[in-house]
Amino acid sequence: MPLLSQEIATQVREYLADLTSPVRLVMFTQEFECEFCAETRQLVEEVAQLSDQVSAEIYNFVTDRQKADELGIDKIPAIAVLGAQDYGVRFYGIPAGYEFSSLIQAIRTVSAGWPELLSPEGVRRVSQITSPVHIQVFVTPTCPYCPQAVVLAHQMAVASPMVRADMVEATEFPHLALKYQVMGVPRTVINEKIHIEGAAPESMVLAKLEEALAGSKA
Amino acid sequence: MFEFKLTAPGQGSAPSGAEEQLYDLIVLGGGPAGLTAAIYAGRARLKTLVLTGYLPGGQPANTDVVENFPAFPDGVSGPELAQRLQQHAQRFGARLELDEAVGVDFSARPFVIRTPKATYQGKTVIIAAGAVPRRLGVSGEERFFGRGVSSCATCGGFFYRDKEVVVVGGGDSALAEGLFLTRFARLVTIIHRRDELRATKIYRERALAHPKIRFLLSTVVEEILGDQTVSGVRVRNVKTGQVSTIQADGVFVYVGMQPQTELFAGQLALDAQGYIISDRRQRTSVPGVFVAGDVQDPLYRQIVVAAGTGAIAAMEAEKFLGEYPDVSV
Repeated sequence: MPLLSQEIATQVREYLADLTSPVRLVMFTQEFECEFCAETRQLVEEVAQLSDQVSAEIYNFVTDRQKADELGIDKIPAIAVLGAQDYGVRFYGIPAGYEFSSLIQAIRTVSAGWPELLSPEGVRRVSQITSPVHIQVFVTPTCPYCPQAVVLAHQMAVASPMVRADMVEATEFPHLALKYQVMGVPRTVINEKIHIEGAAPESMVLAKLEEALAGSKA
Repeated sequence: MFEFKLTAPGQGSAPSGAEEQLYDLIVLGGGPAGLTAAIYAGRARLKTLVLTGYLPGGQPANTDVVENFPAFPDGVSGPELAQRLQQHAQRFGARLELDEAVGVDFSARPFVIRTPKATYQGKTVIIAAGAVPRRLGVSGEERFFGRGVSSCATCGGFFYRDKEVVVVGGGDSALAEGLFLTRFARLVTIIHRRDELRATKIYRERALAHPKIRFLLSTVVEEILGDQTVSGVRVRNVKTGQVSTIQADGVFVYVGMQPQTELFAGQLALDAQGYIISDRRQRTSVPGVFVAGDVQDPLYRQIVVAAGTGAIAAMEAEKFLGEYPDVSV
């Protein structure tokens, strides 16, 4: 029984039809699959069927520990979206509901190797970053505004080798939701300390990102 | 069990060109008042822009179930109602932007609205910016806000499974959200400063009968306690003066609303509580600027009333444009 309806599969196929460079969806699960691990694995395999440029690789979080460490994967289910290089684009928890759009957009952006949805000003400012930035965007699958925050974070990851960006599905990682005081979604956490509520515009996220970096130097 | 949705990423279609930025009507606010105004304006063929803010949908988007919106005999989920309103506004051509005004100039014609993304011009404006929950103003509230103190049970309720929570307030919102929290929390203590609840009878009956809810009446919260997170509240009985501590992992505050009008102070007439003053035709002190919803309503604060005033404001904006076709030139 496929997860994706015929209708959605057709849309995805069309949306991914013009990809020119390969994308690897590297998925981590384990032998006794975690909650939604099986569904996430199936989703990755189904999406890979919809484009010649997209492939799925499934790893075991326990026995393929080295691979997980290499990609900085620390929880499952996890998807690393890899292109010509590893841009730091990750999904933790199943990208279902509205977040499915974020996954498909990430595939497009990683394939292009270019943050097509960032403004030229945004690209300029993000590419000037010289110290590491970790963006975590907490979401739920039923939140219609969350993909905007996730897509923006992933765009920034593609724009700079210093930036990595995770989607984190809050209900699958309640300990992280608690740790980062997620009381509503989307909530974006930059370098553990700066928080943004809601689907904020690019200029505001850029300002917060620069604030986080200024704070870490002080 | 999973649904998969594919939508355009909508990274702000940052339009360029001054002409595209000129609208017949700019609606500030994406709740029931603003979106109903957009439905009416769209049908009147006005070129309409709605700046919804970053968490659109208005208060219904944070409401579990809406039971009193007409034509929904079984109730409707707040987020679903918000979603339907947005689809309805878009169906008649309104453009919705996840953007928020940071500056307005009502002395210019057309009016100027600045956001972090762009500067827009509107021949008319409808302010439907809504109201936000009022704070208690006690020690510890600011420090723990978003970390155990909240005004949104549907946002945070999930994180209080098997915990004890306190709800402050005695109106419909306090009781409705208290009832919602019983799905997660082990114990919900509703603290109200008066000896009678203000809430409508249907909520009073349900809350009083609920085994997980207890009431502390004639009691005020004096401080929110905790170290890293909230551990409880210090309360005082206003009749006996007795002070005690209530253990709680979360505190939900529902003590009335504050209209979001800071941006308009000095440009529009506001009343003593900050609500925008308008007449029965939803006209403000500036001709061409109309107002709808909770930002002008200290009394009723109902979705259906907000929608009604949104409809009036849009019809008046259309009329205004008919009377002054040269308003922008």
